[in-house]
Amino acid sequence: MSKKLLRVGLLLMLMLGGILAACGGGNDDTSTSNKDESSGDGNAKITFWDENAGPQRTPIWEELIERFEEENPNIKVEYVGLPKDSAKSKLDTSIAADDMPDVASVQTSWLPEFAIREALLPLDDYLADSTLKDLINTGAIEFNKDIVQDGGLYGIPYTQNLDIIWIRSDWFEEEGVKVPETWDDFFAAANDMTTDDRYGYTIRGGAGGSFQLQRLMFAYSGFEDYFDADGNAVINDPENVEFLETYFDLYKTATPESDITNDYKEMIAGFDTGVVAMVHHNIGSFGEHNKALESDQFEAIPLPKTADGKYVAEGGNTINMSIFNSTKHPDAAWKFVEFINSAESQSYWNEQVGQIPTNSDVLEMDWIKEAPHIKTAFEVYDNPETILYKPPFYLPDYRSILDNVVDSGTQAVLSGEMTVQEFLDSWAEEMEKSEAKYQEAFKD
Amino acid sequence: MIKMNRKKDKIMFLYLPLTLMITWTIFPIYWTINTAFKQEGDIVKRPLEYIPSAPTIENFVVAWKNVGFATFFKNSLIIGFFTVLIVIILSTLSGYALSRYNFKGKRFFLLMLLSTQFIPRAMLVIPLFIIFKNLGLISHPLSLIITYTAVEIPFTTVLMSGFIGNIPKELEEAAAIDGCSKLQALRHVILPLLLPGIVACGIFTFIYTWNEFLLALMLTNQQAKFTLPVGLSFMMSEFNVNYGALAAGSVIALVPAILLFAYAQKHLVSGMGGAIKG
Amino acid sequence: MDSPQQVRNMQTKKKFNSEKWIPYLFTLPSFLIIAAFLFYPIGTVFYYSFQHYDISAPFYNRFAGFENFVTIFTEDKMFLRSLWTSVKWVVSEVGLQLVFGMIFALLLNQTFKLRGLVRALAFIPWAISGVLASVMWSLMYNEHMGVFNDLLMKLGIISEPKAFLAGTTSAFIAVIIAELWRGIPFFAITLLASLQSIPEELYEAADVDGAGKWRQFIAITLPHLKNTIILTTLLRVVWEFNNVDLIFNLTGGGPANSTTTLTMYIVNLAVHGSDFGYGAALTVISFGILFIFAMTYLLITRYQRED
Repeated sequence: MSKKLLRVGLLLMLMLGGILAACGGGNDDTSTSNKDESSGDGNAKITFWDENAGPQRTPIWEELIERFEEENPNIKVEYVGLPKDSAKSKLDTSIAADDMPDVASVQTSWLPEFAIREALLPLDDYLADSTLKDLINTGAIEFNKDIVQDGGLYGIPYTQNLDIIWIRSDWFEEEGVKVPETWDDFFAAANDMTTDDRYGYTIRGGAGGSFQLQRLMFAYSGFEDYFDADGNAVINDPENVEFLETYFDLYKTATPESDITNDYKEMIAGFDTGVVAMVHHNIGSFGEHNKALESDQFEAIPLPKTADGKYVAEGGNTINMSIFNSTKHPDAAWKFVEFINSAESQSYWNEQVGQIPTNSDVLEMDWIKEAPHIKTAFEVYDNPETILYKPPFYLPDYRSILDNVVDSGTQAVLSGEMTVQEFLDSWAEEMEKSEAKYQEAFKD
Repeated sequence: MIKMNRKKDKIMFLYLPLTLMITWTIFPIYWTINTAFKQEGDIVKRPLEYIPSAPTIENFVVAWKNVGFATFFKNSLIIGFFTVLIVIILSTLSGYALSRYNFKGKRFFLLMLLSTQFIPRAMLVIPLFIIFKNLGLISHPLSLIITYTAVEIPFTTVLMSGFIGNIPKELEEAAAIDGCSKLQALRHVILPLLLPGIVACGIFTFIYTWNEFLLALMLTNQQAKFTLPVGLSFMMSEFNVNYGALAAGSVIALVPAILLFAYAQKHLVSGMGGAIKG
Repeated sequence: MDSPQQVRNMQTKKKFNSEKWIPYLFTLPSFLIIAAFLFYPIGTVFYYSFQHYDISAPFYNRFAGFENFVTIFTEDKMFLRSLWTSVKWVVSEVGLQLVFGMIFALLLNQTFKLRGLVRALAFIPWAISGVLASVMWSLMYNEHMGVFNDLLMKLGIISEPKAFLAGTTSAFIAVIIAELWRGIPFFAITLLASLQSIPEELYEAADVDGAGKWRQFIAITLPHLKNTIILTTLLRVVWEFNNVDLIFNLTGGGPANSTTTLTMYIVNLAVHGSDFGYGAALTVISFGILFIFAMTYLLITRYQRED
């Protein structure tokens, strides 16, 4: 009996083989990566990975790439967009497996790690020979060199961001509440703006909240370094504890209950739909508010100053164009990096997104002068007294501590399972452990 | 089986629970569709609109054009189709072997199939990436087709073996004796018998490939090769929140699955039934 | 590829010892694909469980011996906690899915108008990914614009919006409900399929004997469904244990880790790129737990004893 089925089986296997072969053959030509193309004839194809792709930003990159290709007909740029949440692990895997893009948009906090893994091309010489040399924000460039172990330049910042507080200015006016300038004002406003049908403030308790929390704490306490001379983290300093206790007291009295798992989209939706009066985020969300609200309904205010009157911002709040050292076309890649950082491109990108360009030529342009939220950001960055503190980006588990320990700790405090002191102690302990391990590995 | 006699009983024990059941399953889908057709401001407006007051297809346009859903949709279809094809062939073969023969290593094979299910797939990403990099298949649809096949075969093999086990052996033999030509026997006797099982396996596989996100993202380095779930994840990034477009993207992703079910619902039940009859 | 010549040769050979070779020949392709693309990667996971392997910090990498395992059992508070959450998650999911799946199946097995359409509709959630389902449910759970709050307030059950995902208990329940929605159809399909194979005469005979519906269900339906129930619950336990899509996207394991299952914990470690070796060690342990569970379960229930 099984004669028939055996034959059928063999037939099927033959078919399968055919399919596999057909698939393989048919697609080979399209699957070649940049590396297979020779650069001899001046034609180059480079891949570019965008670390925060989406309906808003992807079209901006596509437009810029189109312009670039028009200007450089022999260079082709292949855009690959990555969802923000997975971009880092995608890059991690590609470095581990030695299958990297030519150019990528890289967050500053990733630079030390990628540099130490020898994944990136040093750009010092390229920049020195470029027309961009004196145009790009020196502070940001120096910061990038400062945080990597060998002091090299591994990314050219093309945009800068700043944490600020978005407020519903129309409501503040209506209620006659003072727009916060000090932290006392801020806490008072959060309570005063809370009425029956809205909340004064919203806390990001879910994913990404830890990064914002850290910036708030430093803005209040004014520390410049993450660790003191003895290697102790300052995060559980009494001043930070005091701040956080007051801050978390806002939960449920001046904020929605759902804040505990708020991530970006819920938090911003709360503000844009008129449920909350203040939200702490950065100038990059300007576009969202602008879509939902009238321009006279909201404005950006700086995080309040410290007790002794200084603004504090987190250093390295930039995104960079970096070249990976496995590239076969370093010159073409640099041309693209240079192009994106030109006044025209930076202006286009940053105006669309609502962030600060780093090219000083752009700063003279009209749209910059007319954008109030960018003016606010300059107020902070241009103030000579402003403190730029330096988070330990070089610690390999810096981000995972914030993502895993701090985010869940925040929720534990908000749900009453932990005190602020215990929470900050565990945060400090994790950072100190990581720091000690790092120093141990590199103590020569 | 349970016979309903009186009308009142029928309402209490059949129509009422049925209504509840359908409300429960359909409501989330209805709400997503409702959201997808609303204008941006209306999504969050109070009082909530249960039917969009000013319906728009703007969200669908954004999803389809800005994010490149058209390409992702096509890629998902291609990968789904080939994976289903290969899985059906391979699991029919191995299912047949498992149900019709007793052979040394059978238990080992079964155990092996079962134990593949014990590992979270997120842990396999890096090793798989390295394998496919060495094969030169990163960004190639084949890398996903192969991986999905490997992931699906254990279950579909068991399904097919149960199914074939319930087809009387005599039928196969009868066809051979009847003097059907070999191809005729295949077409008229064996295939129709296998069809429900094949459909069940196919649906099962297709749904998995259609929905899989992590491997699709990690094993692909080209924008034009991403699949639908990756496209959907673009809609959820920071600075890119757009509930309307997200809902519209979800609806686009839902359509093929719903069509598939509407079409194959009958076979699905008898296919699973054939496979699991004790 | 094989030439027709070879195929013919093989067919001739078959006459001598085909019966012995057929099963191997037929399982070979599946075996090869699984071995190369699942077992080999699984093997590397076992290998890395004895290493410190951090892809973002290669300078820490070294042989670890049993260090990872020792840490898990002596220092890691999250391990037992997340394992306990896993148990709660799996038991409630599989239990509820089975009960409601049974109810769905019994209903859908009746005769009524538009049955085909109703069945198709009832099965749809099965086809929806965890990611997609979490989008849909988070839209509905939302405190400010969510439809559940709106409905509950209209019905007068609550007076002001509730944040379903905010409380440690309510978040767990909210996730359970969302996954339940997605999980019921699988049971409904398999059970319905099984129901259809029960001979009508059995019920007719029971009717004649005067047995009530409930009695019939216990005496006829359940025993008949036994094997189906055993197999589907086993599969479901394993799948739900490793299922994180929905939790990941709906609560991210929060608030305060209250929805962090063991697999969620592992995935968090793997995705946020810290020590892969440590994640691998946890995976090995969870593999062991599932393996022992599956063997015991099959032994106790004596699935397909005739085998």
